[in-house]
Amino acid sequence: MIEAKEVYFSYSDGTVALKNIDMKIGPGDMIYITGPSGSGKTSLLKLFMGIEYPTKGILNVLGQPIVRGQASKIRQMRRMIGPVFQDFRLVMGRTAIENVMLGARFLNFAPKKLKENAANALVKVGLEKKMFSLVEHLSWGECQRVAIARAVIRQPKLILADEPTGNLDKDNALNIIELFASLKERDTTVIVTTHATHLIENIKEGKLIRIENGIICEERLG
Amino acid sequence: MKFLLNNVGYFFKEAKTTIKVNMMSNILSILSTGLILFFAAIILSCWWISSEAVEALQNEAEINVYYAEDMDEISIENMINTIEELYGVGEARLVSEDEAYKRMEEILGKEAKVLKYLDENPFNSFIELSINLEEMESVIESLRNIDGIDQIRDNREVLEKLRSITSLLETFGYIFIAAVGASTLIIVSHIIRAGIFDNREQIKTLRLLGAPEMFISAPFLIEGLILTISGGLLAIFMSAFSVKYIYTAVTGPLPFIPLPPLEPLIRNLIIMIISLSIAFGILGSSLGLWSARDKQTH
Repeated sequence: MIEAKEVYFSYSDGTVALKNIDMKIGPGDMIYITGPSGSGKTSLLKLFMGIEYPTKGILNVLGQPIVRGQASKIRQMRRMIGPVFQDFRLVMGRTAIENVMLGARFLNFAPKKLKENAANALVKVGLEKKMFSLVEHLSWGECQRVAIARAVIRQPKLILADEPTGNLDKDNALNIIELFASLKERDTTVIVTTHATHLIENIKEGKLIRIENGIICEERLG
Repeated sequence: MKFLLNNVGYFFKEAKTTIKVNMMSNILSILSTGLILFFAAIILSCWWISSEAVEALQNEAEINVYYAEDMDEISIENMINTIEELYGVGEARLVSEDEAYKRMEEILGKEAKVLKYLDENPFNSFIELSINLEEMESVIESLRNIDGIDQIRDNREVLEKLRSITSLLETFGYIFIAAVGASTLIIVSHIIRAGIFDNREQIKTLRLLGAPEMFISAPFLIEGLILTISGGLLAIFMSAFSVKYIYTAVTGPLPFIPLPPLEPLIRNLIIMIISLSIAFGILGSSLGLWSARDKQTH
């Protein structure tokens, strides 16, 4: 699923974000990546998405090497990923359900099924009453849940969620963590970054990876 | 490609939203595209009309032979027979003074009343020859050798003038179409670029979600088509109105100009403008998308 060997990554201004990352993640794994702000969590997800490329080392995601010159193949690989961006990246002027549907319009779902799945996904994240509200009228927490529903509806092999619980209250945050955990049944791999350690203190399943200053400093099973 | 069919409604909705965001720019683009296509339609109409007129006159290629006024009927009959035997002559027949008068009445139409002010019929009888246009030179040469012929009249000069006007209009038409094409492409591609810029965040999100470029481009292609087809419809309305007005203005005072039938002309104009609109819409949008393409992988 994901294999990283001695991966280094620096931004174009020279800032070193990740150092010597070794990782092997299989189908159905649930991974929590924690660490303080600026530790390299988001940079790691950007590499997994093919938004950035390793400066050094080997990285394969869903069988696709993350290297320059393979933009078209990386774009195809992204169709198997359900991303939840830190800034949500929702489309303004559209309703919650339209945003959720947009995530899967080009994935060959039958139009009727797509609408049905989008509605179900919004119910799962507790937004059944806000389906037809414009996203600019939703709170940050609600927008976050729309972004999560958009990732889930794609029935991806891999979910990459960057701080998906950052704007949620404890109940809603636990609900989202449970939703992600339930995807294990479909063999979906879930990688969640969070600095809300209180949410994952008591995890029963999954693996916790702690990053600090771009280096993996702790790995433990839940 | 199935996703394209599944999302036709979505593409139109997105195109509508993009047009709404830049409503004023889009209205101005439709007006300018409409005006450009209107000018092209008028130039093309003039070209078609003159081509038809030349063709009509070519089919009526003829020579009129005027003989000495003192010739008797038998001599005239003999002259007709001699002329008919010439190579390149189809038919030769006598047009009497009365028939010549009637013909002029028909040509002048409503203005024929001017003939009534004349005391007597001013027209002479003559021999009318239908000929093969290519043999006109040799027929005229042979006619010059026949005794009793006073004057030979042909319509070569008119045909040559019309031909040169038609050729000028044809060249002008091609140049104009090229200029129209370039202007429309610039306008449409600029609007599409502006639309892409306004929607850059949405496009980036779609790319991050792995959307195929065709999925991202389709609403912009539709927007380009909506702009040029709307401009085309405006041009059709204006040119049909103008051509009808020109026909009314020309057929009254200049009834002898052989104009082609109005309906097929307008039908051809509609087909031509719509075809050009579609072609310019697709090319302009593609140019806009190409010029705004993201060179990065995102």
